[in-house]
Amino acid sequence: MAPRSAVFCLSLYLLVIVFSVSGTVGVSASSDDDLVDELESLQSKSPSGVIHLDDRLISRFLTSVKIPRPYHLIIFFDASSLRSKSELHLPQLRSEFAIVSESFAAHHRGLPSASKLFFCDIEFGESQSSFSKFGVNSLPHVRLVSPTTRSLSDSDSMDASAFSRLADAMAEFVESKTKISVGPILHPPPVSPRQQAVLLLALLIAAPFIIKKVLAGETLLHDSRVWMAGAVFVYFFSVSGSMHNIIRNMPMMMTDRDGRPVFFYQGSGMQLGAEGFIVGFLYTLVGLVLAIVTHGLVRLKSVTVQRGMMLAAMVVVYWAVGKVISLDNWKTGYSVHAYWPSSWK
Amino acid sequence: MVAPVEPKPGGTLRNAFGGVLGFFILLLIGVLAFSIRLFSVIKYESVIHEFDPYFNYRVTQFLTKNGIYEFWNWFDDRTWYPLGRVIGGTVYPGLTLTAGTMWWILNSLNIPLSVETVCVFTAPVFSAFAAWATYFLTKEVKGIGSGLTAATLLALVPSYISRSVAGSYDNEAVAIFALIFTFFLYIKTLNTGSLFYATLNALSYFYMVCSWGGYTFIINLIPMHALLCIVTGRYSSRLYIAYAPLVVLGTLLAALVPVVGFNAVMTSEHFASFLVFIIIHVVAFVYFIKGILSPKMFKVAITLVLTVGIAVCIAVIAILVALVASSPTKGWSGRSLSLLDPTYASKYIPIIASVSEHQPPTWPSYFMDINILAFLVPAGIIACFLPLSDASSFVVLYLVTSVYFSGVMVRLMLVLAPAACILSGIALSEAFDVLTRSVKLQLVKLLEGPLSNAGDTKDENSTAQNDVLKADKQVATNNKTEDVKERPSKKNRKKDKENTEKAPVKSHNEKRLLALPLEASAIAIILLVVLGSLYVIHCVWAAAEAYSAPSIVLTSRSHDGLHVFDDFREAYAWLRHNTEADDKVASWWDYGYQTTAMANRTVIVDNNTWNNTHIATVGTAMSSPEKPAWEIFNSLDVKYVLVVFGGLVGYPSDDINKFLWMVRIGGGVFPHIKEPDYLRDGQYRIDAQATPTMLNCLMYKLSYYRFVETDGKGFDRVRRTEIGKKHFKLSHFEEVFTTHHWMVRIYKLKPPKNRMKGKTKKPKPV
Repeated sequence: MAPRSAVFCLSLYLLVIVFSVSGTVGVSASSDDDLVDELESLQSKSPSGVIHLDDRLISRFLTSVKIPRPYHLIIFFDASSLRSKSELHLPQLRSEFAIVSESFAAHHRGLPSASKLFFCDIEFGESQSSFSKFGVNSLPHVRLVSPTTRSLSDSDSMDASAFSRLADAMAEFVESKTKISVGPILHPPPVSPRQQAVLLLALLIAAPFIIKKVLAGETLLHDSRVWMAGAVFVYFFSVSGSMHNIIRNMPMMMTDRDGRPVFFYQGSGMQLGAEGFIVGFLYTLVGLVLAIVTHGLVRLKSVTVQRGMMLAAMVVVYWAVGKVISLDNWKTGYSVHAYWPSSWK
Repeated sequence: MVAPVEPKPGGTLRNAFGGVLGFFILLLIGVLAFSIRLFSVIKYESVIHEFDPYFNYRVTQFLTKNGIYEFWNWFDDRTWYPLGRVIGGTVYPGLTLTAGTMWWILNSLNIPLSVETVCVFTAPVFSAFAAWATYFLTKEVKGIGSGLTAATLLALVPSYISRSVAGSYDNEAVAIFALIFTFFLYIKTLNTGSLFYATLNALSYFYMVCSWGGYTFIINLIPMHALLCIVTGRYSSRLYIAYAPLVVLGTLLAALVPVVGFNAVMTSEHFASFLVFIIIHVVAFVYFIKGILSPKMFKVAITLVLTVGIAVCIAVIAILVALVASSPTKGWSGRSLSLLDPTYASKYIPIIASVSEHQPPTWPSYFMDINILAFLVPAGIIACFLPLSDASSFVVLYLVTSVYFSGVMVRLMLVLAPAACILSGIALSEAFDVLTRSVKLQLVKLLEGPLSNAGDTKDENSTAQNDVLKADKQVATNNKTEDVKERPSKKNRKKDKENTEKAPVKSHNEKRLLALPLEASAIAIILLVVLGSLYVIHCVWAAAEAYSAPSIVLTSRSHDGLHVFDDFREAYAWLRHNTEADDKVASWWDYGYQTTAMANRTVIVDNNTWNNTHIATVGTAMSSPEKPAWEIFNSLDVKYVLVVFGGLVGYPSDDINKFLWMVRIGGGVFPHIKEPDYLRDGQYRIDAQATPTMLNCLMYKLSYYRFVETDGKGFDRVRRTEIGKKHFKLSHFEEVFTTHHWMVRIYKLKPPKNRMKGKTKKPKPV
């Protein structure tokens, strides 16, 4: 690690020297400094350090600046009209982008490298012409404009497949293109310190009451019905393949080309969220009905009610099992056949 | 069978008859479990399957040839060249020792079976044992009827069949038996409070530790159950006897297994058991004090004990947390971590994420693997809560944890299967119990008219008398398990349970019988039997069609008959007969075990993926152009390179399809290999659109060398496209053998060229 970071420092120093030399020699030095100052002031206005660009600022900082520019700009392309589309994950990616920006700012505070890279975002609705200048026609999209990029459409774009790895991938992308290390990503803690303190306080106050209840044996935990419901719920949750949905980030449903909702995905390797819950519900339903018949219905007095409910239960069970079998057949192409002695055919 | 406490006339005979019948049913269940797993032998031949079993087979061969001490000290130089691997200290020896012992016993009885035969049939034999263990476990929870039903279900459950068909000689084959048996002994100890069973339990746990890394499931589940019992106020001395000896003896015994060793006390997987061990002692102490003090004194004492106890607990927890926090992975192994945080593996450990059995399952997987049990389990859960006992709460806990884990990794469906069988067995048995009882009682009502409500005692007697009638009905509905179910109700313990269950109802509703209408019950029985037959048909189908392929011999059925692809064994035989004994063969790690076992040649990496860097080196070589690849292989003394190619016959799991993982794993260690270089617009392709890096890498070249000569176009049947680069020559490798269907291709590294002075100038004649 150590030699590598030494090399980094060295290259950074070289950069700094080169720039300072060009600063003393070059004529445009003062305007470069102005630009950097302006960017820094814009940066300080935003809480996460992400500068919001529009068409005017794009031309101010990118197109009308003499090349090489004194800074890299990494630009996140956003569109408020598309933020509601869950499969694009725009809000999540934008907040990850802000995390990368904050981490960069935290690791480079006071260093000369802090003014070499700026994080920006741009919104489709208010700066459509910039989108066309960059040639961006699909989201999510992240571009890096290096100091030597002449035409905006030639700037480096981040590989679309890497977005699934969120902040880490963005940091890697920055590092591979600019040779400026972002440093370890500082994820915000899931619970903020203030919330932690409140929680701790609440827990401390509640502790004596809880302990008293536990000793007396009258908590919710002593009610076996709670445990039963919990167990059945975990079962439902698991057989519906929810872990698959969480790990793979599957949406609840998709829309086909005509805009109609699609709840079921054909093919066994993948499932949609709603699909899993529907089948998980059918799995659980049959068991619950069986349990009600076996343990609840027998205690009823009225024979007619018993008869009616049993018939209803059997219809429901028959339908649910049949439905799961036909869905499975449709999804995976599975079909079984019995084995008869060959002479019977 | 213990004689009933109140022998009624004819009762003993009925019990004896039932005992014999139950025994034969169990025997038949064993035969069923064994024989349903023989499809692979009948359809193919008696051959070891897949990858890992070949390693186990090789180890067993070594054991039978050289004895246990040599095995313990075995350093294998045929694998992970040049590192080698300490086999004795890094394998779970349970399976090997079991099969070795079986072979030794058979041979001393002058039954000359080969080691391979014993290995092939170990899994079916242990499936029968597992079915019996399930019977005992479920019997402890809900009685004999549920036990027999659960055992039948387990004998057939597809998830377990997939890991235990004949020839699938893997750890899971014996480990599932050990798992169920350990749970049975725990429950047995919990029910009886006997130290004898507690000791057996520790020994059984020891066998489980010997057999499978999944033992950590036991050593976390049992403490969880003990803790649950304490928290819900079910602490008893029986719980103490069931738990404390297991932790002490079990941990000591586990530390004896070389592969576990000090991990048994050092890793986080085991800390839960120690924590609960402390808690149970504190609780036991409190109960002890409570017993010897007066209530008033106790109040004083409890404040004292609580303060001291809590202080000690906090101190210990703090130490544990500090210990755990000081290790980089927080003391957890990667695989366990990916269970707790399901997204962990896919982010950080490509080698775990790359294995298909580590993927999370979708809902059809459950239908495939446990079939209709998925419907029955919720009913079983509810049955276990009515009434809740220590044993039934354990079963529910087992189900809940295993079903969660199975949702994270499809491979752990195997652990879920026994739990699902037990709970479905309980559900099915109770349902049949209620329905057949209704039919029987309603029939009695119809026949005898008003005589039947004569009172409770009369009721019992009429039940007994009519049992024969009931038994007939049971046989007719092909569910033999049911008639045995009724009998234990005569036994004292069971009767108590039923009385407690029925008592409140009876006091409310006088003498009303717990029964359902006759015709509805009859239809329900028929429906349940249909549901059961669906299960049987599915399981037989799964055993015959889905899970019996050895994957070392492949078949395909087309319009002109059956084709057999025996290319793998052809290639390994070629290596065995045509190469030097100490030549090194490089291939992707999937084929390492098979190469060492069948070709008896040294390999660079194998399926025991302990050294990521070494695997990444091979991955890098496969993803590099010819010359750097040659240099890497040459530095590893490799003589031959083996690639598996399915393009000609359409075999989808070949090296080209696995290639992206080679790139990813290689790139994880050697950053100059970058995945995007092999993808065109994020798509993996090998046709004319493929990237030049892809078309020039060694894997592409070795797979498609001379491929165009087969059909003139170079059409790849797996990728369904014409290949991108058809005519090329190899400069650093030469093809030495390609099997009949081109599925395995073996190349030899060309020797380095003699160095000539002046490069290309002609050497001057001397």
